[in-house]
Amino acid sequence: MDKATQDTPMIQKVIAVLWPSFLTSGVATILFFTAFDPQLIVSVSGYGEITRLGGYTIGFFLFWMLTSISCLLTCYFQRPCDPK
Amino acid sequence: MNENAQTAQETDDNGSFYAKHKKVYPRQVHGLFASLRVTGVLVLLGLYYIVPWLQWDGHQAVLFDLPDRKFYIFDLIFWPQDFFYLAVLLIIAGLSLFFFTALAGRLWCGYACPQTVWTEVFLWIERKVEGDRNKQIKLDKAPMSRFKFSRKFLKHFIWITFSAWTGFTFVGYFTPILDLGVALYDLALGPWEWFWIVFYSFATYGNAGWMREQVCIYMCPYARFQSAMFDKDTLIISYDNERGEPRGSRKKKIDPKEKGLGDCVDCTLCVQVCPTGIDIRDGLQYQCIGCAACIDVCNEVMDKMGYERNLVKYTTENAIEGKKSHLLRPRVIIYLVILLAITAALIYSMATRIPLELDIIRDRNALYRTTSEGMIENIYTLKISNMDRIEHTYNITFDSDFTIKPILRKTQVTVASGKVANLSARIQADPLDLKSISQDIHITVKSLKNESLTVTEKGVFLGPVSR
Repeated sequence: MDKATQDTPMIQKVIAVLWPSFLTSGVATILFFTAFDPQLIVSVSGYGEITRLGGYTIGFFLFWMLTSISCLLTCYFQRPCDPK
Repeated sequence: MNENAQTAQETDDNGSFYAKHKKVYPRQVHGLFASLRVTGVLVLLGLYYIVPWLQWDGHQAVLFDLPDRKFYIFDLIFWPQDFFYLAVLLIIAGLSLFFFTALAGRLWCGYACPQTVWTEVFLWIERKVEGDRNKQIKLDKAPMSRFKFSRKFLKHFIWITFSAWTGFTFVGYFTPILDLGVALYDLALGPWEWFWIVFYSFATYGNAGWMREQVCIYMCPYARFQSAMFDKDTLIISYDNERGEPRGSRKKKIDPKEKGLGDCVDCTLCVQVCPTGIDIRDGLQYQCIGCAACIDVCNEVMDKMGYERNLVKYTTENAIEGKKSHLLRPRVIIYLVILLAITAALIYSMATRIPLELDIIRDRNALYRTTSEGMIENIYTLKISNMDRIEHTYNITFDSDFTIKPILRKTQVTVASGKVANLSARIQADPLDLKSISQDIHITVKSLKNESLTVTEKGVFLGPVSR
């Protein structure tokens, strides 16, 4: 690990995980729900009923969760594997 | 490597990774660029808060109606199928950013970015409540008292109220704001509407009240890559080292040359007004958002001292090095040409857009069936979307290079503005006429009111091949 990565303040690390994933999940939400109507997806898959706004919101947070997991893993794998 | 890992581990355990952040207290500034920014703030925020309340032709003038999957922008109605336009619009926005950055540096950051614009308002509120820079610093240092508490309470109260209004307005772009207002008054908002109002309010309060310049430094992707669009002819804000140094305080009447001093009186006002807390005299820094507050304040000081203005000024790297600056250069011209071409294409395509769509959906249950008369029959659903602002009656016609017999309940259908009509259509053909298992048919939908509203789509007719 180079010095620059090591000296990164904690707050910057947290932002480095949450913020890019927020941006990309925003884009993903727009693209996905432009093509697919959440109400149709939910009713066809048999999960009952949902308002569209609710569908978008849940979709956004699902995307955000996924993208932040990949950001988190990227940060994690940046650390050297040998702890000693 | 290993050693480094060890230290990283230790520091991690100590949890001492939080950035030591010194609060920046930007001092109020007056002058040409400050006026420009205030104008920008008033225009942009004015638009933001007023636009959702405008009505147009019986609907909200600008409404991104997510629940209904339709975007209204004055006379235009956009559907999910029109996503193409949004994509082009984003490309245009991106290219404009490239163009203006190459030309004049961080214009966006200094005058138009929502972060700057809202922070400006929050700073204004802070100044009205707590006083200017010195009073704020004093108040923050003072122990908690009734006075301090009342000031802080008032400031946060106004900030939060303003943020809540901002969040409400934001959601008002996506659900009709008049209904939203009524629902809010009755406290009968849906859970998702509540959620997004609170979310956006919180983001405004956090970003403009607390994070401020840290958003620009840590979070903004543009701030990181804008330097790639810079060249030696890009406008930057710079301090004239030659003229200013050696800096030093002096009495107004003395001749600085006699004392061996430059023009910088080292009043540090340029540092005090900086919203990101940097010293412009240290050279070009990535934290500089190009707000030009230091230019304004330094000019004021220069005027008072009776020195020439522009010790800190907009200039280019070439100009600093004594070379000629070129406004029109290949990079700028290329950006401009692409920008104009795409904008023209978008306008042309929007102007000639046909607000009518036909989808031909085949019956999924059977490829074809044979009727009792021995005819081959295919079943389709026709989806006719009227994307126009007015009601239309459409005539439906069929065409193919083999003989077909369309069977419809009606060949004319009236569709209200913004609605979709579903029609079931059966098409029969004599198996002897079929030349292959799959043949094209064409279905045309034409408006009776306006003949130019015509759409033809291709469908497939399936059947057995007779030998």
